[in-house]
Amino acid sequence: MNIRRARVEDLMGMQACNLQNLPENYTMRYYLYHILTWPSLSYVAEDQGRIVGYILAKMEEEPAEGEHAHGHVTSISVLRSYRRLGLAKKLMIQSQEVMTTVYRAAYVSLHVRKSNRAALSLYRDTLGFTVKDIEKGYYADGEDAYAMQLSLKL
Amino acid sequence: MSKIPPKRTLPSKEATLFKELLTLYETRQLKKGIKTSDQILKKIPEHGETLCMKGLILTHMGRRDEGIEMVKKGVRLDLTSHIVWHVFGLIQKGEKNYEEALKSYTQALKFDKENLNILRDAAQLQTHLRLYDGLVETRYKLLRMRPMLRQNWIALAVAYHLGGNLLEAKKVLENYERTLKNLPDYDIEHSETLVYHVRLLEALGEWSDALSLLDTNAKERAIVDKTAIMEFRARLTSKLGSSDAEHSWRVLIEHNSECYDYYHGYLSNLGINLSTHPAQALKVLQDFAVQLPKATAPKRLSLTIAPASFAGDDSILSFYNLARAYLVAGLTKGIPSLFADIKSLYSDPEKLQIIQDIVEQAKEDNTPPTDPSSSTSPSTSEPITYLWTLYYLAQHYSYLSQHSKALSLLDVALAHTPTLPELYMLRARIFKRAGDPIRAAGAMEEARALDGQDRFLNTKSGKYLLRAGRPEEAEKVFGLFTKKDATSPGSDLQDMQSLLYLLEQADAQYRSGRLHLALKKYIVVQKIFDEFDDDQYDFHGYSLRKFNIIIYLNLLEWEDRLRSNVAYIKAATSASRIFVAVHDDPSLKTPASSLKLSDKAKKKAKKAAQKIEEVKKAAANANSNEDKGLEPSPAKDEDPDGLKLLACEDPLERAAKLLQPLVELDVQDVDVLGCVYDVAVRRDKLLQAIQALNRARKLAKDHPEVHFRVAHARKLASSLPAQSSSPSSVDPIRVFKDEVDRILPPEVSLMTFNSQYLQQHSGSCQAILAASRVLSKVLESPTDEAEGVAFMTLSTAEDVKLDVKTALDVIAFLQSIKSTRVEEYRKACDGRFELATVFKTSEEREKLAEEIFTLTREGSSNSVNVEPEAELGS
Repeated sequence: MNIRRARVEDLMGMQACNLQNLPENYTMRYYLYHILTWPSLSYVAEDQGRIVGYILAKMEEEPAEGEHAHGHVTSISVLRSYRRLGLAKKLMIQSQEVMTTVYRAAYVSLHVRKSNRAALSLYRDTLGFTVKDIEKGYYADGEDAYAMQLSLKL
Repeated sequence: MSKIPPKRTLPSKEATLFKELLTLYETRQLKKGIKTSDQILKKIPEHGETLCMKGLILTHMGRRDEGIEMVKKGVRLDLTSHIVWHVFGLIQKGEKNYEEALKSYTQALKFDKENLNILRDAAQLQTHLRLYDGLVETRYKLLRMRPMLRQNWIALAVAYHLGGNLLEAKKVLENYERTLKNLPDYDIEHSETLVYHVRLLEALGEWSDALSLLDTNAKERAIVDKTAIMEFRARLTSKLGSSDAEHSWRVLIEHNSECYDYYHGYLSNLGINLSTHPAQALKVLQDFAVQLPKATAPKRLSLTIAPASFAGDDSILSFYNLARAYLVAGLTKGIPSLFADIKSLYSDPEKLQIIQDIVEQAKEDNTPPTDPSSSTSPSTSEPITYLWTLYYLAQHYSYLSQHSKALSLLDVALAHTPTLPELYMLRARIFKRAGDPIRAAGAMEEARALDGQDRFLNTKSGKYLLRAGRPEEAEKVFGLFTKKDATSPGSDLQDMQSLLYLLEQADAQYRSGRLHLALKKYIVVQKIFDEFDDDQYDFHGYSLRKFNIIIYLNLLEWEDRLRSNVAYIKAATSASRIFVAVHDDPSLKTPASSLKLSDKAKKKAKKAAQKIEEVKKAAANANSNEDKGLEPSPAKDEDPDGLKLLACEDPLERAAKLLQPLVELDVQDVDVLGCVYDVAVRRDKLLQAIQALNRARKLAKDHPEVHFRVAHARKLASSLPAQSSSPSSVDPIRVFKDEVDRILPPEVSLMTFNSQYLQQHSGSCQAILAASRVLSKVLESPTDEAEGVAFMTLSTAEDVKLDVKTALDVIAFLQSIKSTRVEEYRKACDGRFELATVFKTSEEREKLAEEIFTLTREGSSNSVNVEPEAELGS
């Protein structure tokens, strides 16, 4: 699969991929906000014109005083029919690289539903994230989230 | 500035209050703002500016009608005040009436030429409306007034760029860069500006300037986006023919070895033509494959490039060897997407055959020994490889329409591993292709039941239920993942702009004859595209403040072509067909009562509407002083089931409006042009009709849809008066007739034209159907003649290949001409398409559905959760 930076014309495909795969969805405005603010952070996996996976990422906008800049993965997913190709990892690596080199991020964070063991295992075992905290009632339906992080220091 | 009119002048106390009022509005202290304006109005009740400010604040507080009335009154009372026009413009902008808003802002600027806020807003409106000449003027004014503000320079450059004047844009950037002093280190905004400058030089063809600007600033670390630097460098050095180019592309490939563009760039820089010199290209790709063993891209690209019959000097690089290595690796790893990845190679029949042989061989190699006692014998076979090989072959044969073979392969796979959702998903797809949407939905439900946590399976199952005509069950399935506080699963999917859901839902309603519900959903899709269109508005200001210019220019390009998207095309053409149908047969406006919403569904809809009202009321009561912005809150839907929409007075005008963007974007699609023609002839827009027909002919002269319309146009032309009463110099009737004569010379009779078409395309069932339609609907031949032609689709001649979809189209056509032979045709199809259920009687189908869906319901209640490695969620 072709892996490359996301373009504006990919956003509808990313939105469709997200809706098909994940319970956390966003309107187009939110995708636009991401790509127009941090145009280099989001990536897609494409199979002959169809978006089959994506990472939608941003930088933490207002790090607290003395805090390091850090990246945040808003959403990452790969269509079920395109698994076992290691696409999630490839997408994540490209985005992390930009977080470090363009934005000097010290680490990258993300949230995951406590009940989503499959995703948890991907972030922890495949991508090397660790659980930093539990955020009570983070999701709209009241479920808790694991706040996970991965250091980008070499 | 002209003198202030006396009626605007306020006594000093009120003048102070008015200044306060402006600050209160700026800081959104709405309640205090009302109080202050009341104090002024108590003394001077006809003070236009105060009335406008109060009206504006009331609108923010949700008292919209009252507020707008007051603003209008204020405007009338003081027509030369910039404040009243500014306020009026804000209100119109809130209503997304951008044209009128710009007029008001222009008016305001007449009375306050240098008002920064108004100028900035006007620039945003001009961008939104693509009025680039005016935009340049406004941006120029802003820059002259505030040259110290960096974004004003960029804004002017962008305005020139949008207007097509790249040279001026470049000059502005150069002047801007000269003003810069003491830039902070590592400034992302500045970096983005420089990248834009490089891009501009590239677009102007000034490649060597672009490259030196890039190199200097990359070295000084003024440009921080390394990927952008590498990509520009590779492109520019290639264009300049520099010896650096090869290295630049190599660096990119090493940086991201899965990006196809980089390999293409590398090869094209070496001047290797992929189709004439595949051997050279394959050698290069092979080297990369060795160097980057983890990369898939060079291996996959080789398969596209290698000719099927190509042996070459190096047999390792033959298509057979390359494909075998690729396929065996994929099967061993168990990659579910292997077939989807490979099938584009099938357009070459030789490659198809080679691939089939390879995978058949793999199946043989991996088949477990039938005699368990011999299992000690050395065998390389892996059970998992065997499973994925069966899975691949089942997809392969299903693709070739060998459905029974595909199903029996799957049966072996399922006996082997009964818990893999992929196998049930594939079974569902095979049933769907074979014309059995009911069993397809049943199989997809089984897949879903195996992993209830996976939304992908959930979406598929919901979609298949819709295809099987089970909207209520589909809604339940979708509801497992939609927000619990949404009024219904469908409304959440609609809020989240799920085009897939809306189109599937609409199509399902269309198929079952509920035109009002179908139309309703198609129009929702149209509205979502309007939202996408509106979404850009805020970025006209935001992006310039962020200095992210290139992506912003891309946004505008995307927005300009937004409605050429397939989802819009689908919605617009389907809706326009419904509008045309109700125009032709107004009795369709009132659907048979059985097709209306069931009482249960009605109650549910009513409840949902109530819930929305309650939420809205609660919000209104909770805090009437809260800022609700200037955009009107969504109005209550007075027509939830689309009946009013279907019964509208102007169906053709609405259809034309839906299609208009597609005409403007010159969308090259026979279906679109067919719809444009159909609507235009009914609106007596002969020029538009003939233009659409000519364009369609250019795309596909012999397309069945085109054939039907050429025949239609000929008949229409002969029924038109010889001379038109039109006073304009271009006589549409004359043009239409001339063009029709050119397409179909007058000496050829329509009957001959139609039978020749039938003869020439006797193997295409869609063509046969088109000829039959022409007979019946244009030539008005007796029904039995049209029937006779339609039945030719059942011919058993070798070259006549009837598929399920076309057969259903034929049935629909026979029904539309009230043929007495519908049953006969249906039964013939039922006999021919063994696996299909769409040709069963509705009772038979209902019975089958009962069986299947009771079964899957029972199955899913004691489902287990397997495959824990399902991916992702955040």
